[in-house]
Amino acid sequence: MALCSCSFPAIVSCCAAASEPQKSTPFASHLLGGSDLGFHPLLKLNQVKKRPCGVYASLSEGAEYYSSRPATPLLDTINYPIHMKNLSVKELKQLADELRSDVIFNVSKTGGHLGSSLGVVELTVALHYVFNAPRDKILWDVGHQSYPHKILTGRRDKMHTMRQTNGLAGFTKRAESEYDCFGTGHSSTTISAGLGMAVGRDLKGERNNVVAVIGDGAMTAGQAYEAMNNAGYLDSDMIVILNDNKQVSLPTANLDGPVPPVGALSSALSRLQSNRPLRELREVAKGVTKQIGGPMHELAAKVDEYARGMISGSGSTLFEELGLYYIGPVDGHNIDDLVSILKEVKTTKTTGPVLIHVVTEKGRGYPYAERADDKYHGVVKFDPATGKQFKGSSVTQSYTTYFAEALIAEAEADKNIVAIHAAMGGGTGLNLFLRRFPQRCFDVGIAEQHAVTFAAGLACEGLKPFCAIYSSFMQRAYDQVVHDVDLQKLPVRFAMDRAGLVGADGPTHCGAFDVTFMACLPNMVVMAPSDEAELFHMVATAAAIDDRPSCFRYPRGNGIGVQLPPGNKGVPLEIGKGRVLIEGERVALLGYGSAVQSCLAAASLLESHGLQLTVADARFCKPLDHSLIRELAKSHEVLITVEEGSIGGFGSHVAQFLALDGLLDGKVKWRPVVLPDRYIDHGSPADQLAEAGLTPSHIAATVFNVLGQKREALGIMSSRN
Amino acid sequence: MRCGYGLAALPGTDARLFSPEPSFLRLPRTVHPTRIKFGSFKIRAKIGEARKETSFYDMLGISEKGTLPEIKQAYKQLARKYHPDVSPPDRVEEYTERFIRVQEAYETLSDPRRKALYDKDLALGLHLAFSARRRYQFDEELEDQSEWRNRWQTQLSELKRRSMSRDAGGNMSWGARMRRQREEQSKQV
Repeated sequence: MALCSCSFPAIVSCCAAASEPQKSTPFASHLLGGSDLGFHPLLKLNQVKKRPCGVYASLSEGAEYYSSRPATPLLDTINYPIHMKNLSVKELKQLADELRSDVIFNVSKTGGHLGSSLGVVELTVALHYVFNAPRDKILWDVGHQSYPHKILTGRRDKMHTMRQTNGLAGFTKRAESEYDCFGTGHSSTTISAGLGMAVGRDLKGERNNVVAVIGDGAMTAGQAYEAMNNAGYLDSDMIVILNDNKQVSLPTANLDGPVPPVGALSSALSRLQSNRPLRELREVAKGVTKQIGGPMHELAAKVDEYARGMISGSGSTLFEELGLYYIGPVDGHNIDDLVSILKEVKTTKTTGPVLIHVVTEKGRGYPYAERADDKYHGVVKFDPATGKQFKGSSVTQSYTTYFAEALIAEAEADKNIVAIHAAMGGGTGLNLFLRRFPQRCFDVGIAEQHAVTFAAGLACEGLKPFCAIYSSFMQRAYDQVVHDVDLQKLPVRFAMDRAGLVGADGPTHCGAFDVTFMACLPNMVVMAPSDEAELFHMVATAAAIDDRPSCFRYPRGNGIGVQLPPGNKGVPLEIGKGRVLIEGERVALLGYGSAVQSCLAAASLLESHGLQLTVADARFCKPLDHSLIRELAKSHEVLITVEEGSIGGFGSHVAQFLALDGLLDGKVKWRPVVLPDRYIDHGSPADQLAEAGLTPSHIAATVFNVLGQKREALGIMSSRN
Repeated sequence: MRCGYGLAALPGTDARLFSPEPSFLRLPRTVHPTRIKFGSFKIRAKIGEARKETSFYDMLGISEKGTLPEIKQAYKQLARKYHPDVSPPDRVEEYTERFIRVQEAYETLSDPRRKALYDKDLALGLHLAFSARRRYQFDEELEDQSEWRNRWQTQLSELKRRSMSRDAGGNMSWGARMRRQREEQSKQV
């Protein structure tokens, strides 16, 4: 703004004179709300910017978002990273803008992870510009920020299939493209994998680069430190990029607004960013080095070292101590800076492991995301122009919400109940618990192993810890469950959400194995609710079990609409007792967990064929309801166990019991229905169930097959939907 | 260096700079409190008045609780009134100056972030004259950026320097050994 930059009281007339030639334009633009006023973007008019070079984008600075595909002239010429190599830095900036609008447009149509992808647009562009994927390996931790990467590496035309059946995966996947070097989904694995790739390269004598991008949230997990420790020791050349956006938990907000990130590491990283080096000291150090100079290399190096140590603050020494050379902090949205740093590091031979600390903003470039508390981490389809998500309405709420409400009701009655989660306050519903009991909810960061042992410690002191960890993330903490909880018979309660198939997130988040690995533990009580009312009762049951560990699993999705217990307070169930839902004859379906609903649907399918099935809900996998199973085995020809889990789970435990009890020596035929022995790809829940063979039609067909009525079985399978 | 306003009472300032209205005082520069002689009660009162009078809100003629549309409307009115093009020819300078100040008031108050900062300053009794605050903030950001840039440039040069001597004979780390081996193999080829 030229007008304001005139100095006063150096002559007013000079300002007046200066204002004359520009009179009309600033006046007009200010009345219209020109770009330098920091206006609300939607109020700005579309201004076409003319750039001096021939190529220009028609994006306005305020960036309106239309429902139709935005114009992306430069991005249209890029199919693979090699097409980017001849661009100038200015064109790279334009490419980043276009890439950003493309990501927003695509995610608005399919849903997915928006905020994280927006934060790394410039970083992705810089990485692909400087490095030569796929020979150079670029690994993306967790993978949910890889949308720009996928667009730039030949998958732009498939972006509309993101997270859908037979479409692109929402995370990096080796089988999908050679540019995805490592499959991710769980966090904190890229440094380890990258080190493995670097060492492999060294053993083969090759010379490519390995770059591992990891976020500050993923940095809270122990595996990242294990990897850095090893990397520092092995001293193999690799680059770790720490993408720091101060978002450590999901969302970094509770229901009432943003919260600061958990953990001491985050404050260390902030100190790194804000540390103001002692300029004078650095100048002095430089001066001293200059004077010494010449042949005194050693001493100069020492002085440099001291100066660096003094000016770079307390945080970087953490990485330095682990053996990684620290560079940063760097503005992660400035392509100039990123490209020059990456080029420098790339051309330096023998760097050893280097850590570049890049500071980004989650959701950058899309005002609604920047302003939202959860930074639009995961969204469903939305309208780009207004940012409003098209959330479906449902009569019932999710199992997650019911769990949180049940836990709150229990905690009201019993002050010893505490809740622990690993950076998933939103996903586990414990944000609701946090709001009600702020002192009794613990977010430990992405550290499931620590969460379990931490819960064990709490249980030692007589408290009643509820660990809410997703079924697939529980895999990380298995040794802690066995050794720290089960072996010592400590009463820790595990609430495993996202059990079974999970839909769009795919096999990385699928909770297929939890029944298997929990039910084989000697002291564990293992149960699963078939509907939301049962969930309330099982939370109460778990709260009541105080002499041994217990766990219960529930799926992703909404309740079926049964009546909830009054006051959200469940009644503890009798342990080791199931229930019969429908009395029938000849064939019995014994379901576990949400599969019971599929059994009921199968029973109604078969009713029209003249078969009256018995449907029972086992409720407990451990201890099994022996009398119920004996009863079913003795009075039916066929017993089919149904669960949404892998082999070795509920069905296997039932088979073991039948065999040991001599029930298999008689006339009853037992058949299991479990998840198949392969990973089910991402897709809609219905498609996944069909792929896995767990739909009501499949169960009904199984019944017919066992009864020898193959024709009817085929008939059912071909007539479904 | 930002000069800001001079005190009306300071001798030796160019009379031409002051508006014909004698009550229209400029504000003291906050960075030089020693220059202001608070001996006279009257002067102090006048300064107080000046502070009150020429806050951005007063300049736009709205209350401190003004909403954005109100601010905009007030600004548009005043801008139209004081724009040099439409001002009476004998008062061009004064009007231009007013216009510029109204302009600045609007810029500050329409940006929520800067408005918040300005309100905070006002509550503390400071009115940072004429873009001083904005300049300070802008400078702060620039300074931060250049701090960062200097820092990583230093780090990069240090990295280069270290890499020269990294694989010297003494370094027995696994990586160093592999690199030496690779170099030897490529030399042989």
